[in-house]
Amino acid sequence: MSFLEVTQWLLEGFSTTLLLFAFTLILSLPLGLVLMFGTTTKFWPVKILTRAFVYIIRGTPLMLQLMVVYYIPGIVFHYSVLKWPIFGGNVPLAQFCCALFTFVMNYACYFSEIYRGGIQSIPKGQYEAGQVLGMTKSQVFFKVILLQVVKNILAPVSNETITLVKDTALANIIAVTEIIFFAERALNLHNIIWPMFYTGVFYLGFNALLTFIFNRLERKLSYIRS
Amino acid sequence: MKKLFAGLTLVMVAVMMFTGCAGGANTATGDEAGSDLATIKAAGQMVIGITEYDPMNYYDEDGTLIGFDTEYAQAVCEKLGVEAKFQVINWKTKEAELAAGNIDAIWNGLTVTEERKNDMDFTDPYLTNKQCIVINKDNASAYTSADKMTSAIITAESGSAGETAILADESLAKATFTPADSQKNALVALAAGNADAAVIDITLATASVGQGTYENLMIVEGIDLADEQYAIGFRVGSDLTAEVNKITDELIESGTMAKLAEKYELTDRFNEALQIAE
Repeated sequence: MSFLEVTQWLLEGFSTTLLLFAFTLILSLPLGLVLMFGTTTKFWPVKILTRAFVYIIRGTPLMLQLMVVYYIPGIVFHYSVLKWPIFGGNVPLAQFCCALFTFVMNYACYFSEIYRGGIQSIPKGQYEAGQVLGMTKSQVFFKVILLQVVKNILAPVSNETITLVKDTALANIIAVTEIIFFAERALNLHNIIWPMFYTGVFYLGFNALLTFIFNRLERKLSYIRS
Repeated sequence: MKKLFAGLTLVMVAVMMFTGCAGGANTATGDEAGSDLATIKAAGQMVIGITEYDPMNYYDEDGTLIGFDTEYAQAVCEKLGVEAKFQVINWKTKEAELAAGNIDAIWNGLTVTEERKNDMDFTDPYLTNKQCIVINKDNASAYTSADKMTSAIITAESGSAGETAILADESLAKATFTPADSQKNALVALAAGNADAAVIDITLATASVGQGTYENLMIVEGIDLADEQYAIGFRVGSDLTAEVNKITDELIESGTMAKLAEKYELTDRFNEALQIAE
């Protein structure tokens, strides 16, 4: 296999990696907010349930969760995910969706904890000052608190985002055809190991882009000095 | 403290309920699997779990999937009146794929072992297989037989027939064993010098040694560690096992199997399997 052929192959795999990454980020960022409201609410049944969920997801390996989502429906309930009508017999789609679901759940939990930390780091005095000035609770949240929270959580969120790019590699345990899967395929079919090392270039390149974007964002928000 | 105990008990009860329910489901698989033949005929296809490797399931220059197992499966499926649909799986989780119903068969140079009989039913073996020792060419003069490898570092896929063969061999059992996560990675470790010898399938060894990353590797001639057989794996209690055995007998009668074996240079091993069957 020539260098160009391998590059083409890996690019095909990396496009799946990027899709998984993008959809996970888009879906888990808002879901994390919902979860955070659950874990911080005073309504105790919701609080216990969401906290238990976050505990289970954060307390088990992502690779295990992938296998649970992909195999348990078939093994326990005799209804293989591959036979679910919504996937219309499209096996790669079903595998991708299983991986996406798992990643979204996983990252939403981590994001919810980052949000919680970010909001709880704002001193109570600011809420009180807002009230004294006659602002409503929502006015205080959106006009005073939110932007500070965004600034505070930007660094941990960028950290998670970069971790996500690399975590997508785990999806190959359920045969999602991401970039590592293609590198293993090159080893199986053409007996060459170097494409595996070459995948690092793709991850590094994409993470360079992400680092650049997050640095720009941080600079934009740096007018608030804490 | 009391609350903590209550919480722990709750978790344990939940786990027990879950495992209990999973156990019940397993027994159910055995009963329900009786309809496998009807299920695949209704679906019009048999989903066959494979990994891609030469000479079982690989691609020709046009990108068409070929190989001994590919053509064998297609021939059987044609007689069944269904389409053979090949699905690449992760070999590590093949039992789960089969149990979950994601695939209907494991048909990819699958070695018959006693342990695997708990997870699947095997057809009659169609090829024999052997485990061989692969070494670096630089060590060709040092490692000429197994009894010279007692101080070597030996690798094999964890839980594979190769590992069993190492443990069963008097000399190799004395060597330092280091597990690999796949047979291919055992070869990579060998090429990288992280191990002195690897014990893998002769099928895989013949197809990969001397190429690409494995350019500097060689098979130690004259050592056949363990005699094994390849068969197709179906779900436990599946009626496909008997049906595919019957069709295979027809394919042997008509000479189709012999032709296939010749095409992929497996004639000796096909004949050996025939002898064992008799």
